[in-house]
Amino acid sequence: MSQFDALFQPLNINKLTIRNRIVSTAHAEVYATDGGMTTDRYVKYYEEKAKGGCGLCICGGSSVVSIDSPQSWWSSVNLSTDRIIPHFQNLADAVHKHGGKIMIQISHMGRRSRWDGENWPNLMSPSGIREPVHRATCKTIEEEEIWRVIGDFAKAAVRAKEGGLDGVELSAVHQHMIDQFWSPRVNKRTDEWGGTFENRMRFGLEVAKAVREAVGPDFVVGMRITGDEFHPDGLNHDDMKQIAAYYDATGLIDYFGVVGSGCDTHNTLANVIPNMSYPPEPFLHLAAGIKEVVSVPVIHAQNIKDPNQAKRILEAGYVDFVGMTRAHIADPHFIAKIKMDQVDQIRQCVGANYCIDRQYMGLDVLCIQNAATSREYMGLPHIIEKTTGPIRNVVVIGGGPGGMEAARVAAERGHKVTLVEKADELGGQVTIAAKAPQRDQMAGITRWLAMELDRLGVDVRLGTSANADMIRDLKPDVCILATGGTPFLEQNPEWGAAEGLVVSSWDVINGVVEPGKNVLIYDTICEFSGMSAADYLAAKGSMVELVTDDIKPGVGIGGTTFPTYYRSLYEREVIMTSDLMLEKVYREGDKLVAVLENEYTGQKEERVVDQVVVENGIRPNEALYYELKAESRNKGQIDVEALFDIKPQPVLSEKGDGMILWRLGDCVSQRNTHAAIYDALRLCKDL
Amino acid sequence: MILDWLLPVLISVALLLAVAGMLKRISLWRAGQPEKVSFFSGLMAMPRRYLVDLHHVVERDKYMSKTHVATAGGFVLSMVLILAVHLFGVENRWVNYALLGALVLMFVGALFVFKRRLNPPSRLSKGPWMRLPKSLLMFAVSFFIATLPAAGILPENFGGWVLAAVLAAGIVWGMGELLFGMGWGGPMKHAFAGSLHLAFHRRPERFGGGRSTGLKPVDLTAAKLGVEKPTDFKWNQLLGFDACVQCGKCEAMCPAFAAGQPLNPKKLIQDMVVGLAGGSDAKFAGSPYPGIEVGKAEGGPNKTITEGLVSPDTLWSCTTCRACVEECPMMIEHVDAIVDMRRFLTLEKGSTPNKGAEVLDNLIATDNPNGFNPGSRMNWAADQNLRVMKDVKEAEVLFWVSDGAFDMRSQRILRAFVKVLKAANVDFAVLGDEERDSGDVARRLGDDATFQSLAKRNIAAMSQYKFQRIVTTDPHAFHCLKNEYADFYPEGQKPDYEVLHHTTFINELVKAGALSLEEFKGGTVTYHDPCYLGRYNGEYDSPRELLNELGIEVAEMERSGFRSRCCGGGGGAPITDIPGERRIADMRMAEIKETGAELVAVGCQQCTAMLEGVVEPRAEVKDIAELVADALIEGDAPVSKKNGKQAKPNADKRVAEEIL
Repeated sequence: MSQFDALFQPLNINKLTIRNRIVSTAHAEVYATDGGMTTDRYVKYYEEKAKGGCGLCICGGSSVVSIDSPQSWWSSVNLSTDRIIPHFQNLADAVHKHGGKIMIQISHMGRRSRWDGENWPNLMSPSGIREPVHRATCKTIEEEEIWRVIGDFAKAAVRAKEGGLDGVELSAVHQHMIDQFWSPRVNKRTDEWGGTFENRMRFGLEVAKAVREAVGPDFVVGMRITGDEFHPDGLNHDDMKQIAAYYDATGLIDYFGVVGSGCDTHNTLANVIPNMSYPPEPFLHLAAGIKEVVSVPVIHAQNIKDPNQAKRILEAGYVDFVGMTRAHIADPHFIAKIKMDQVDQIRQCVGANYCIDRQYMGLDVLCIQNAATSREYMGLPHIIEKTTGPIRNVVVIGGGPGGMEAARVAAERGHKVTLVEKADELGGQVTIAAKAPQRDQMAGITRWLAMELDRLGVDVRLGTSANADMIRDLKPDVCILATGGTPFLEQNPEWGAAEGLVVSSWDVINGVVEPGKNVLIYDTICEFSGMSAADYLAAKGSMVELVTDDIKPGVGIGGTTFPTYYRSLYEREVIMTSDLMLEKVYREGDKLVAVLENEYTGQKEERVVDQVVVENGIRPNEALYYELKAESRNKGQIDVEALFDIKPQPVLSEKGDGMILWRLGDCVSQRNTHAAIYDALRLCKDL
Repeated sequence: MILDWLLPVLISVALLLAVAGMLKRISLWRAGQPEKVSFFSGLMAMPRRYLVDLHHVVERDKYMSKTHVATAGGFVLSMVLILAVHLFGVENRWVNYALLGALVLMFVGALFVFKRRLNPPSRLSKGPWMRLPKSLLMFAVSFFIATLPAAGILPENFGGWVLAAVLAAGIVWGMGELLFGMGWGGPMKHAFAGSLHLAFHRRPERFGGGRSTGLKPVDLTAAKLGVEKPTDFKWNQLLGFDACVQCGKCEAMCPAFAAGQPLNPKKLIQDMVVGLAGGSDAKFAGSPYPGIEVGKAEGGPNKTITEGLVSPDTLWSCTTCRACVEECPMMIEHVDAIVDMRRFLTLEKGSTPNKGAEVLDNLIATDNPNGFNPGSRMNWAADQNLRVMKDVKEAEVLFWVSDGAFDMRSQRILRAFVKVLKAANVDFAVLGDEERDSGDVARRLGDDATFQSLAKRNIAAMSQYKFQRIVTTDPHAFHCLKNEYADFYPEGQKPDYEVLHHTTFINELVKAGALSLEEFKGGTVTYHDPCYLGRYNGEYDSPRELLNELGIEVAEMERSGFRSRCCGGGGGAPITDIPGERRIADMRMAEIKETGAELVAVGCQQCTAMLEGVVEPRAEVKDIAELVADALIEGDAPVSKKNGKQAKPNADKRVAEEIL
């Protein structure tokens, strides 16, 4: 046995035996196609988790039961039609084959959706109160509609059962219709569906009764609830204990999933999927509180990423099942690696929330660091097989995430790999990002890669500046350039970069320049770097104004992450100003004057400051590439058709002289960590 | 002439003294506990046991075998003819020539003994054994010359009294060693004790190609449990100790000795000899127990062995791998003796060292050695939908899961085996929570009471259900079930099932065409024979055949088959954990490395655990079940390669189920 025994105690939910205590809890995948069907990509995504040993997968976060709860704008699962049944059968078979269990979360989202598309419905909620996160206005639901939705829940549950799934989870969390009825904050009704506790509970109870009647006693019906809405006028922890106990006493519910925090404001939403700025398991106490009052198993997710953490929680008995959803997005073989005694090889979630932030933009969920996740259907592997072809001498220049991933994958293929990095440590721009306040866990991305390179015996040469001759001396069969870029401060000569009037966010965060007393940050990128620079400087005591020409500072950052920046920046009295372009910087005495121009009025303003920081992205470091391009066999070209099809690069099987030369990541053009890692994986998996 | 009357006198005196010594020796053995033996048929069977069974073991060393045949054969023949010619005065030219021939044969054999003693390997005891070839030569030469006149080759009185005196001296020396020494504890004692040992061996099943490896049960109602003093051994065990020739083949094979733990099987047997006769080990002229000085041990027939004669650490160093027993040309049973002494230490003294006591307590309280919740025994299979005997009552095969059920690494082996069983559509079921530890560790640690309790309860559980065969991935459970449980069936009942190791069973399935396998794609593979599969049960072929079926040509280790070296995991040795200079598993892994193997195939979860405990870089360790499961080809009608037919074209898709 092992130190992780607590994880591997099977437990029953109703009559269903779950092989271990680790659950991938319901999240919106944004993978459904063909009108909300669980097709190939969806099935393979969950099959990989089951193959990797996950005990229970609850799929389809907020899957809809009714045609007036829209799903198409975020490619969610649609249980309002019998068309879903054969797709569920595929899904269930794929998971069951590996000993896993799979359920689906079902819901009517009420006011928490978008009406502009699909069937263009009127959104409905108990009292027609607008939901700010989705900018969703809605009508007050009528009695007839209430009963229709209850019936839809029952029909949807039967479809899940007929599709061979192991259960359904009623979503009464994140301000969906059931908890919209519960919460006096949004339920202002005076009829039998509102007002008293019993009345507010009625809708959920009728749903539970209808579902239970439709699916019979043995089919698992769970309920996901909040542990505390964190709104003064909302449901607090005591209310939720009362609610949980109430439903538990009906005997209709087989388990409770507990989520800390409400979700219907930008700020509370950030709590629900805690990013790296949160402590571990920040809301475990709420789930433990619910466990105190119910008689069935309790599942809790939220910032539980480490097997030791899961073990500690289970051993202490706070909850019965630990949700490790993002942990499985980062590494679907999480359980397998524990079982194989390869805990050090787990690609651990760092809480960058690239996954969920994409989801809130209606984009498919992807992992910032694991490019194979949800691309299993395309043939991107989580386990890289050794090549049966020639062993090649692979030289990678640049030890950022892209270069490291390329080196990792090439080494896993069995090639002889050398990685050359100019700096004294690996990590590239991730290392800079991780130096900002609240962002230290970013380093986990490259720390894992570095550990893997070490395990795989890659020849890593730090503090070594590569040049063309050196590369030629290494006689590579394949040379991969991942040399990154340099802050682009020269775009507007008037900024005075040449005269040293402005500094880059890298200089600030790397500590190359002392923080100024009074600093203006001009951020054209509006993602993490500018916000981090502001946070960093403010934390060091600078007075900071963060100016952007975009519509708001940090606009490019997703919904679960900008709130945590805002909390910190407002707290530190950082002034955030939109719509101003930096025209010019000039020196006046020992001060700098920044000239700003309003994009819409042309009106100019000036700021007298000690320091001007410009975050204008980076320009690729491409000199080495152009030096080697001509002599390379493939003239540096990547066959994009093969690349996009996840096929081997044709040049690998063609005869020819000279090295194959590829470049990837920001040394081509600035994109992001995922893009660099994705390119590295798809280029090198067939190397 | 002088010799004419002197020789018969000398011979008679030597014979009388020898017989007196033998009677004295016999009385020492008789101080042991009674054990029923078949006296007459044992004696009748002895020549065959000597000439066939024992010779078979000696024959492994051709040089020694030929030398011994010549020397011993020459001596025995000479002795008979000497009695005829020189004692009873038979006057026949041909008898005389025959005697001369026998002496020449003995002389030639003795020359080779002498040659080997010029630069003897460390395993051989020195001391009086260095004198033996000279005594043999002296005997042969003296009698040769003394017989020449009788044969008419030399004239009577040739050489006069001077030669006669010289010959008489030589004959006294020779007979002193060979006859007097035989009765009074000289090197030649082995011939006398050895032949009786063969006649009255405690495991007569071993002769005639048989195998007897199950430990004998303790009578739990006896006044004393286990062996405290030499006289607590059965009399024929004491006899067996006296048969030792100190050749040290056991020492050369003992993994504990090689690891520098304080055990040397040869020294242990010699200490038993010291114990049964009384005295000290000062005259022991072989390798010591590593780390323990020779000459300080004292014992007597009625003295507690572990107080002064043998350190308990010596007894607890043994892995019960049976390499010593397998190698012993005198067929001495070292492991029986060690476990007998452990039984006293555990059952009477409660002094099982290190984790031993805890493991036994766990077994008593939880039916498994690590004290896991017995209700969690089937956790590993929560997602496997295994049929449980309690529900189905009947199945063709009972899959004996063993305590690997509690170990995450072993669970992968179990799951791999389940995958194979399912792929072959085997009708099998498990006992589930009704299964208990087989009792192997308890028994090897000397706690026969716990072993017997576990065995009886397992038997009771099994007796409720119908099955034809038991298959297990654990050679230790395999051994207990197959060789040791029969002693514990209630009156009038006996096991009515066959017990198989999973490699045997899978091999059958493959041969029957029930599985289609693709070729193994990895690099060099070697195979490590688990002691309890190989030496204990003689199964060397099935694992190799299976590997062969996978397209693997096994790169054999020098120590393989019956000479395989233990992983260090048997006999509770990892639990009692007696320190040495190195770890047995490390040595084994070094041998694996010598073959250039990237992967070592095993058939035992204990071996897997021990070998995987070796620090990397090292060969990968995989159970054969895992290799087979990895190679399974999904297809509805598997076709044996042997039939010359290929599996269906669409069968190239690997079974996707992972072994996690």
